[in-house]
Amino acid sequence: MTRFIRDNALALFFLLAFLASLVGQAFAGAADYNQRQITGGGEPISPAAYVTSSEYAVDVAENWQSEYLQFLAFILVTVWLVQRGSPESKPPGQEGRESDREQGVGRYADEGSSRFARSRGLAHLLYANSLGIVMGLIFVLSWLGQSVAGLAAFNGERLSQLSDPLDWGAYVLSPEFWNRTLQNWQSEMLAVASMVALSIYLRQRGSPESKPVGAAHGATGVEG
Amino acid sequence: MRVPLIVCAAALMAACGCAAPAGAGPAQAATARFLDEVRDGQGAAACALLAPEAAESLAEEEGGCASAVLRLGLPGEGTVRQVSVWGDEAQVRLTTDTVFLHRFAEGWLVRGAGCRPDPPGPYDCEVEA
Repeated sequence: MTRFIRDNALALFFLLAFLASLVGQAFAGAADYNQRQITGGGEPISPAAYVTSSEYAVDVAENWQSEYLQFLAFILVTVWLVQRGSPESKPPGQEGRESDREQGVGRYADEGSSRFARSRGLAHLLYANSLGIVMGLIFVLSWLGQSVAGLAAFNGERLSQLSDPLDWGAYVLSPEFWNRTLQNWQSEMLAVASMVALSIYLRQRGSPESKPVGAAHGATGVEG
Repeated sequence: MRVPLIVCAAALMAACGCAAPAGAGPAQAATARFLDEVRDGQGAAACALLAPEAAESLAEEEGGCASAVLRLGLPGEGTVRQVSVWGDEAQVRLTTDTVFLHRFAEGWLVRGAGCRPDPPGPYDCEVEA
């Protein structure tokens, strides 16, 4: 058990931090929602009722989609684009999908490789792109979830303001939907750009996300 | 790809209570009761079906809410064209009127009645919270 925790500490830490944040968001979100309810002449609801509301769902989904988009973009763009000096990038000259030898697939696979790395055909194609496919799928589903929950929350607000509700097609073209979407996207893209650029010149001793402290600024793809 | 998206959308619709039909019947019934009371001249009973803020806005009128609500000349109950329910808010569109309601602990109460579209702004209502 102790060994399991130690071997999986990174994933477990972030999973627990995720759950704690999600619960915290439920209580803080319910308090905020209730303040607005009381101001508007409505009635407060419990945190348990709040977590089944469209307001909570859209706030969760809009953040999920942008985070998964960030990692999807990072996974895919770093195949083709490099940043000299960044530990997040391949060295210049290695842009692209790389050779079978470099990727250890087909006849270059070793005994530790997945059988899908050795095989050819659709199974290999899916396995060779599985990280991007799954992250992309979660992104699309989260974004769809944002649109559905956002429509419900937005229409509730419109009705409370004595206005007609919108249908889904009108909502996904509305300023409300794109404001929610783009305000998340801009922050994710800034964070990636910062990480790529700052890691050229700055160091975090012991972190694999940083180059070793003694590494040259020009060293690319070196992780500490 | 298409099936999971549709399944997900349906699950999300159900999970977040956004499906329009839920609560449509009670909201429509509350609208009918309110308009029936107005038609029958039962001002006090009609006011009891108004949301507190809507009732308070009429209470300031001469004769109080019970008298004021009958003087508004609200159209009678026509044929229901559409009922929309989103969360705790509802809109009942009739051939004669558009009514807005809010779901309170005691049930659906009328927040706006005698409402006419006033684009691009919200509806212009005879009674509103």
